[in-house]
Amino acid sequence: MSGVSGSANMVAAAAKMKLSADFRKKGIMIALLSGLLYGFYTAFITLGMSKGVWADWYGANTAGLSAFTITFVLAALGAALNDTLSAVWALAIAAIRGRAGDFFRCLQTKPGLVMVVAALIGGPFASTCYVIGLMKAGSIVVPIAALCPVFGAILARFMFKQELTARIMLGIGICIAAAFMIGSTGLGGDAPEGMLTGIGFGLLAAFGWGFEGCVCGYGTSMIDSEIGITIRQVTSGLSNLIILVPIFGMMDSAGVDAMGLVVQGFTDGPSMFWFAISGLCAYLSFMFWYKGNSMCGAALGMSCNATFSFWGPFCCWLVMGVIFGIEGWSLAPIAWAGAVVMIAGIFVIALNPLDLLNKKETI
Amino acid sequence: MKPLNYAMLKFYTKTKEACADDVMAALEGEYSTFQAFKKDAMISAIMTAEANGLLEETRFDMDSNNELRVYYRASEDGAETINHYIQD
Repeated sequence: MSGVSGSANMVAAAAKMKLSADFRKKGIMIALLSGLLYGFYTAFITLGMSKGVWADWYGANTAGLSAFTITFVLAALGAALNDTLSAVWALAIAAIRGRAGDFFRCLQTKPGLVMVVAALIGGPFASTCYVIGLMKAGSIVVPIAALCPVFGAILARFMFKQELTARIMLGIGICIAAAFMIGSTGLGGDAPEGMLTGIGFGLLAAFGWGFEGCVCGYGTSMIDSEIGITIRQVTSGLSNLIILVPIFGMMDSAGVDAMGLVVQGFTDGPSMFWFAISGLCAYLSFMFWYKGNSMCGAALGMSCNATFSFWGPFCCWLVMGVIFGIEGWSLAPIAWAGAVVMIAGIFVIALNPLDLLNKKETI
Repeated sequence: MKPLNYAMLKFYTKTKEACADDVMAALEGEYSTFQAFKKDAMISAIMTAEANGLLEETRFDMDSNNELRVYYRASEDGAETINHYIQD
């Protein structure tokens, strides 16, 4: 239906082309930034979980926590602290930027409730599946979880009629191959029994994040992305804190005091500072993830975000290794190669080579 | 009172076509005090709705200030989706 009203107006046509190109470029930059910030979120939550009371829980363990508590309850508690502080950031920023009223109004509507459900699936459900997958199958689950753009693109095709061509599928395939290259640096003989079950949980995590990415991406075409992410972080923080941590606590046969751990976690100054930073990075990362997906579609948006599989280890190396001098965080050369392959994959999704050829012919 | 983005989308289901200026003029009475009630943010919200198939472009031209003006309308499917999710 595009066209110039009245006489042909070359100035208007050029301005319109620029507007569309700028919008797409902005969408891609926002989606890429979400991947980088996810890397910093990973680094700072890892740092937080190595400071203060966490250093004892994961180190000397003078509290005498069971292996189950250390594996599951602490993982859920770390996510709960991060998401709760992220929700505080989101609410504070929404209030400062005059969006608090719309946040409460959106919560009472159908799109708001859809965002809550998607946040539950992408938050506690997918995160728990990811942690269980890691415990059961080892680090092979990391690249498997990076399959989320595939689920996101397929779901977006069927649920929201978004574009899914052979070229886009090829690009996603290249990105996943790159994620496997990066993830392979962590592969080793660390796969315990129940590997297939673990891989199954990894796939469930990928599905959860893919579902969240495409549904919330579409949702932010109706709900302002700042409000959307506030709904997400409040839902995820509260559900982790009120549902997940106590459930894991009850599952522990050693009878851990889960709420006692929550109180210790929240009152531990040295680690809470870093959780506050990781919460801010998570807020920005997820907001840009939703916004990028809504601006350039789930397939491209989620593939740009999938660069987190490089930025995660890179930022951990930068923060933990370079800045804090903690050993064991160096980045293998294959991870750099994987990053280059991933960029190639994103280009394949974002740009049709035929368009480039046509441009050359025009010139 | 609806959230600002909802009001923008609902407006499109009740009009033949509109540009960002038209939407802002229609919503000014209720939403002019909102910090998000800015032309750039409105254009971005409209283009995001277009990217997700809720709205479609109808035409564009330059206004009297030599600024680009793009008109959109709610597609048939888009209007159905908007009305399904956002009640009056």
